[in-house]
Amino acid sequence: MKETLSKKETPMIIGAGIIIGIIAVALVYFGNPANMGFCIACFLRDTTGALGFHSAAAVQYIRPEIVGLVLGSCILALATREFKPRGGSAPVTRFVIGMFVMIGCLMFLGCPFRMILRLAGGDFNAIFGLIGFIVGILAGVFFLKKGYTLKRSYKMQPIEGGIFPVVEIGILVLLIAAPAFIHFTEADGGPGAKHAAIAISLIAGLLVGALAQRTRLCMVGGIRDVVLFGEWKLLLGFVAILVSALIGNMILGYFNPGFAGQPIAHTDGLWNALGMALAGFGCVLLGGCPLRQLVLAGEGNTDSAITVFGLMAGAAVAHNFGLASSGEGPTANGKIAVVIGFVVLIVIATVNSMRKSEA
Amino acid sequence: MEEYIATFFFHFGAMAFKKKCDKEGYPAVIMPVPRNLSSSCGTCVKFTGMAETAENWHSDELEQLAKILGNGRFQVIWHS
Repeated sequence: MKETLSKKETPMIIGAGIIIGIIAVALVYFGNPANMGFCIACFLRDTTGALGFHSAAAVQYIRPEIVGLVLGSCILALATREFKPRGGSAPVTRFVIGMFVMIGCLMFLGCPFRMILRLAGGDFNAIFGLIGFIVGILAGVFFLKKGYTLKRSYKMQPIEGGIFPVVEIGILVLLIAAPAFIHFTEADGGPGAKHAAIAISLIAGLLVGALAQRTRLCMVGGIRDVVLFGEWKLLLGFVAILVSALIGNMILGYFNPGFAGQPIAHTDGLWNALGMALAGFGCVLLGGCPLRQLVLAGEGNTDSAITVFGLMAGAAVAHNFGLASSGEGPTANGKIAVVIGFVVLIVIATVNSMRKSEA
Repeated sequence: MEEYIATFFFHFGAMAFKKKCDKEGYPAVIMPVPRNLSSSCGTCVKFTGMAETAENWHSDELEQLAKILGNGRFQVIWHS
């Protein structure tokens, strides 16, 4: 049965989605890679590389958008008394799930957010990603209905919840100071070399972080709510992003419909779908997409902070072990890793599904 | 009897509490957590009954209990 208690939520979410879509296209205009105004997976991967945890020279840059997302959420949560340091809900399990979510994203070459932006840019390969993503979410919902739980979280000291936002400030300082030990992709050396000015990226991240905190925007939560409750509210935010980014791309001449030759994408439909299926499945088990994990980490949720570290570890593993796809397609190692990912997630989901009799 | 919203750490808790309400004859429905109640995006149970229904429920899954005041406003009466 569908129930709702606030009629203001839907216009707020749609409004936020429209603004975020415009910001995403604007970031491409100001220098970000095509169809990558925002990509949480790609940006965490670039940041991981910049910090030296992987050596893929083409994708190394500290992305201020990530810092902005966390701080935007954190500042708004502090202002609205929603900063609530919590943690202790299966952190190691979340770390491992986060790793495989990233491996799935790097098979597809984008997170759920970028999947929408790729669609808005006319990249039809993302349709396969979307189909896989929905299937993955359905798999996760199946286990939710079976009683999947990672158990409760607990109140933490304020300093515990504040560490992650402070770490992000430290990472921003490293970007600005640019010491020799930070790696940056050389000019024309790959996607890592394409970026908007630091201030523009940071402000964009702050705005999107605040909007996502206010509206609880979550691609996974949106589809999950439609499946579980027939509730479209959260998903409408991403529909709004798709529509506004599509219009923005058309106005600026970035809309390029087709399968072949799409920026930072490959045409292997099966593995595009399987990559996002793994990501969608993992995100339901985590309770939110990578964007949502950053926003929650900004609100003081240390379980989400651990998940973000898991995503970064997944990025390092993906590039150090040759798992990440490229424009030429997926790798053999990547395919094996995605299959292993499904096995690991099914085991985690099964083990953490309570006995039916307890429900 | 009043209207309440109980929020949970996981969907499992909401399912279990809904079953308890059904068993005890309290009208209950599972739904997404309203934004003006919490920044969490999980599931909650809206039920008509007594606060004790949730407060005396010996489960780690209950996150908070709020009384529905009308006009989309809530009064949190218990928090984990």
